[in-house]
Amino acid sequence: MVSDLKKIWYPIASSADVPRRHVYHAQLLGREYAVWRADDGNVNVWENRCLHRGVRLSIGINEGSELRCQYHGWRYANRTAGCTYIPAHPADAPARTICNNTYPVKEALGMVWSGEEAFDKPTDFKNFEKYTVLRPIPINGNISIIKKMVSAKYQMLGHVTQDMKNGVIKVILKNEEVILFFIQPQESNLSVLRGVVNKDYVDSDRVVFLKLHNRILQRLRDDIEVLSERENSDPMLVQIARVSAELSEMPQKSDAGRQAVLKVRVAEKKNTASGICSIKLVSLDGQLPTFQPGAHIDLHLQNGLIRQYSLVNGPGETNFYNIGVKLDQLSAGGSEYLHKHLREGDVLACSVPRNNFPLRRDSVKTIFVAGGIGLTPLLSMARALDVMGLNYEFHYFVQNKDHIAFNSILKALKKKPMFYEGLSPKNTEKKLNKILLNPQNSMNLYVCGPGPMLEVTRQVAANLNWPDSSVHFEYFKNAKVIDDSSSFEIELARSALSLKVASGQSILDVLRANSIDLPSSCEQGACGTCKVPVVEGLIDHQDVYLNESEKKKGNVMMTCVSRALSKRLILDI
Amino acid sequence: MIELYDYELSGNCYKIRLMLSFLKLDYLSKKIEFHPGKEHKSEKFLDINPLGQLPVLSDANLILRDAQAILVYLARKYDENNVWYPIDEPEKVGFISQWLSFGDLITGSSSAARLHDTLFYNEFDIEKCRERAHTQFRILDEHLFFQEQLNQSWICDGAEPTIADVACFPYIALSEEGGISRISYPAIRRWMDRFKRINGFVVMPGVFPAGPE
Repeated sequence: MVSDLKKIWYPIASSADVPRRHVYHAQLLGREYAVWRADDGNVNVWENRCLHRGVRLSIGINEGSELRCQYHGWRYANRTAGCTYIPAHPADAPARTICNNTYPVKEALGMVWSGEEAFDKPTDFKNFEKYTVLRPIPINGNISIIKKMVSAKYQMLGHVTQDMKNGVIKVILKNEEVILFFIQPQESNLSVLRGVVNKDYVDSDRVVFLKLHNRILQRLRDDIEVLSERENSDPMLVQIARVSAELSEMPQKSDAGRQAVLKVRVAEKKNTASGICSIKLVSLDGQLPTFQPGAHIDLHLQNGLIRQYSLVNGPGETNFYNIGVKLDQLSAGGSEYLHKHLREGDVLACSVPRNNFPLRRDSVKTIFVAGGIGLTPLLSMARALDVMGLNYEFHYFVQNKDHIAFNSILKALKKKPMFYEGLSPKNTEKKLNKILLNPQNSMNLYVCGPGPMLEVTRQVAANLNWPDSSVHFEYFKNAKVIDDSSSFEIELARSALSLKVASGQSILDVLRANSIDLPSSCEQGACGTCKVPVVEGLIDHQDVYLNESEKKKGNVMMTCVSRALSKRLILDI
Repeated sequence: MIELYDYELSGNCYKIRLMLSFLKLDYLSKKIEFHPGKEHKSEKFLDINPLGQLPVLSDANLILRDAQAILVYLARKYDENNVWYPIDEPEKVGFISQWLSFGDLITGSSSAARLHDTLFYNEFDIEKCRERAHTQFRILDEHLFFQEQLNQSWICDGAEPTIADVACFPYIALSEEGGISRISYPAIRRWMDRFKRINGFVVMPGVFPAGPE
């Protein structure tokens, strides 16, 4: 019987129960929910359980775009319920598999509706364009006894009642106003009686009306509870669902290479600066996966090219992906295609967001240095820190005013960004020397921009004694000419395979040819997606992702471009 | 210097710590080991409070027991803005006193259930304690729901909270330690968020902060 009820849409809260920055505690058919409204108006209905230690999320903190667990501070994004940050692992991007269970949700008649398996359309109630929601009354009793008693009570008061589908009771009052009563089965012997009348009562009339029915319903509650006292039923059994199979199982072996698993539609394309367009992509089917600040997606273009773009989304902006694309004068066809041929409404394929440029949120101060279109990942990061009220500085170097992209987002930051227009390389270096002066413990620097600017920023930071581990950078591309003339052997420690890499082949090519599907993205040594641990052997690093100390350490490598200096490499895969 | 005979896990002492913090007053916390030492029943402490209960406040020559009485004293003596206990509004003072007593009733129900569940006070009838708490919470939830309908945020009318809110908050916020769920009291849960956002709010073990509004 309970399994049938799971398919029904029930109101589980009044809309007024989910005000700004509050987490409502709900329960339906034994299952507990954390219900919260994000600042963008979206109402989330989630399993009331942190994936980490099982603490109720209903005691967590609604930060407007993310819900933070009270216990160890894990953060979950609006809509997706994907984890975006784990404070105990500040340098790592949480895995995509860390995603809480979400449940169907609708808002109608001034109430929030849900149902564990309520996938069909909820019933439309006619003549309820205007309404007033009664004060919900929790009652220690089951739905059948409450249903009987509600009808009896209102009939006794001289009103007409009708039974409708799914246990709804329609009460036609003597003045012809209609009240609908819904009985939310919370637990086996606990229900909430929720009523709504088809009139918009305001001011003092509203309070009089609410008090009148509150009084009737509380008396009714007391009567029902006297009767229900004799009933003693077991609590409803609730199984906490595992995460979806797609997330929990090992991926199939395949040699498909870079995959575009998401289909997206161009919802908006507009110029945001001279030569830079902003593109908003929305999902064609369901919810887009969670992103973290710093993440990028691979766009698979209709002309066959695959290009990487960083997301500029702020925290909790989970119903679209927003990217910025600069028209490259020497475009090989990627940016040119997006600028000249892509139209709103076009459908594209893209990868899930990957984050190889994770943002630490445990810095005493974070410094962002953005050059030109390198703004995009850093803007997403700054928006996250801005919402959390953490200490940061944002420095944005552009050719001139016309090249300032995403100005409206920049303006919305509480902490005002610093702009530098048209500085010569020499003056840029001077300015950087000022910005990066006096690095302190637990300060972090994030840099993204054109190659030469990145080089000079890293050099200035090194001169000013910034430790390598505090300087985080992302190149657009690897400008080095890759030397792939060597040939060597690789041994895969976990897969117990020995393979030969011939000159002209990359390690990644060889792995793919042997059905070992390593994720990859840019395939030119810039993004860090195809990183693997190395157990033994000398690495011939040719990427621009790792910093000097990581390269020197020699225990990880980029398999798309880097090779071996020794005869053999043992990889930990 | 104000001295508070204090026990970290006591909700009644927490009322006073909250008030002292709201009023930005410095004080000395004199720790009394309630459990397991039962120091509040020691001869030494009984000389200070023959009832053997916490908290007790000492300020200059004054020695005052009973959390509600201490709230009244602190608000009258140190609240220059006269908002926590506005003595010149007789109706409001009446209502504040009504809810101060209600706060003490919650001590008799929710706090007793908590002592039973966490500090082994087995002599309490736990089911009766919980039942009384639920009856009280229903009354407060209804009251706060209709306060919201009139755009009132606090237990007593007015733009600012009063000592009535301080007296009721701790043992409601700690009720789940006594097995008393607040899932059926959404208006109380919203009021708790508002209370936690009062400037100067402090936490205690088992009471969690709210985020920014």
